[in-house]
Amino acid sequence: MPGRLARWISAADPDWDAVYADQLPRVYNFFRYRFGATADAEDLTARTFEKAWRARHRYRRDLAAFSTWLLSIARNVAADHVRARRPFVSLEQASDVRAAGTPEEQAVRNSDGERLAALLQQLPDRERELLAMKYGAGMTNRTIAIATGLSESNVGTIVHRAVQTLRARW
Amino acid sequence: MEDTDLNSLRRDPSPAFAARLQSSLHEQEKSRSHAAWPRLRAIAAPAVIVIIILGLLSLPAVRASAQSFLAMFRVVNFVAVPVDEGRIAMLESQNLDPPHLIGEQIQVLEDPGAPIGVVSPEQAGTAAGFEVKVPTYEPANVTLATIDVKGQQRLRATADAERLRHAMETLAITDLEVPAGLDGQTVDVRIPPVVRMRYERGGAPVVEVLQAKSPEVSLPDGINLAALGEIGLRILGLSPIEARDFAQSIDWYTTLLVPIPAAATSFKQIAINGQPGVAVERVRRLPDGGRQFSSSYLWSQNGQVFAVNGSLSALDMLKMAESLK
Repeated sequence: MPGRLARWISAADPDWDAVYADQLPRVYNFFRYRFGATADAEDLTARTFEKAWRARHRYRRDLAAFSTWLLSIARNVAADHVRARRPFVSLEQASDVRAAGTPEEQAVRNSDGERLAALLQQLPDRERELLAMKYGAGMTNRTIAIATGLSESNVGTIVHRAVQTLRARW
Repeated sequence: MEDTDLNSLRRDPSPAFAARLQSSLHEQEKSRSHAAWPRLRAIAAPAVIVIIILGLLSLPAVRASAQSFLAMFRVVNFVAVPVDEGRIAMLESQNLDPPHLIGEQIQVLEDPGAPIGVVSPEQAGTAAGFEVKVPTYEPANVTLATIDVKGQQRLRATADAERLRHAMETLAITDLEVPAGLDGQTVDVRIPPVVRMRYERGGAPVVEVLQAKSPEVSLPDGINLAALGEIGLRILGLSPIEARDFAQSIDWYTTLLVPIPAAATSFKQIAINGQPGVAVERVRRLPDGGRQFSSSYLWSQNGQVFAVNGSLSALDMLKMAESLK
């Protein structure tokens, strides 16, 4: 706590609007990767910022730490969301996605992004979360390890395995 | 599949959504400035000040050359000390408050980083290195919202006798002397990981439970903590008699002083599950004429320190504190 106090001594308030502009896409894309490109991403992003904004002044000097902390709130919001509702993709839908290999079915999908979103939903929850942190929020394996409590090598292994799975189904 | 494919899901949020959310956050800011969340910092900051006073002012009075850390401070008891908020404001305005007095002499040996969010008390315990206690009593409609863990922090403070002497002169503290050999002495402070569980009611934060192993302050051998604590108390505004009596009556190696702003409605020594602690209850007048109640409970048990802060009723807060299992 003395460190916190020491920080109060000389720290000036940062430009929170600039911080918001910088962090909003990271959080928003974390949810897009986590749950798919749905309207929920906006709702979950809003919930995350509303929670974080109340206490943001604690991190007014160390904005890198603020970024990690913001993602930890996003993870909690995501966990609540998972608990509150059934998975986005039913088993039936999942079967459809896996079978979507014909040119006709592929034509239905109008972008690689949509394909990726659909395939992400087939992954185990932990793999999907790590990919959301890495590719959605743009975190390094090291910061993911800090945020999740996993070892850095374990993060690398899980991410690699998940990407291999996606490539096999692509 | 290439990396470009893996990144293909990324999109910028729509400008309309970004603007709407930003506007909402600004509105939230305005409403919060007038209301709800208790002013925990008003209590936390003075507590921090005392830790620093213990760390910096409690330096060796006689054995100036002793650099070996033989004495150790650990929190066992909390004792409340009333402090005039006007005095603190005056100290701050003249750069004589403890943070200014010692701020330039603090070296961060280990930065705790940002708190890390976890999903369960068990995970928090793993991260913090102790078994996390959870309230078995939750008031109606109050639910656990978030858990985070702040990492360990280690600091080293180096005393500046001249600066302290100047502060005492400015504050007309002429009957006490800065101990000889103070200058350059160092104190190590270790604050173990802190677990915070935050509870909400209807989406608004109403109470938080904090717990950690006791902070430790490693002190040079041969110190006169009572004499140096007395200087700290005088700086905070206690009268000479009050400061002398207080300094002589407590065990400085185990007691954490909690300066309580005099504006606090009340404070008292209490026992929580048989352990000594401090209860602070505040009522803050709001601009619209209403009143905002908040309270804090601090106690230690088996080498750990606990705090429950929030705006629930005193009865609910105390029941939550006593139900920690």
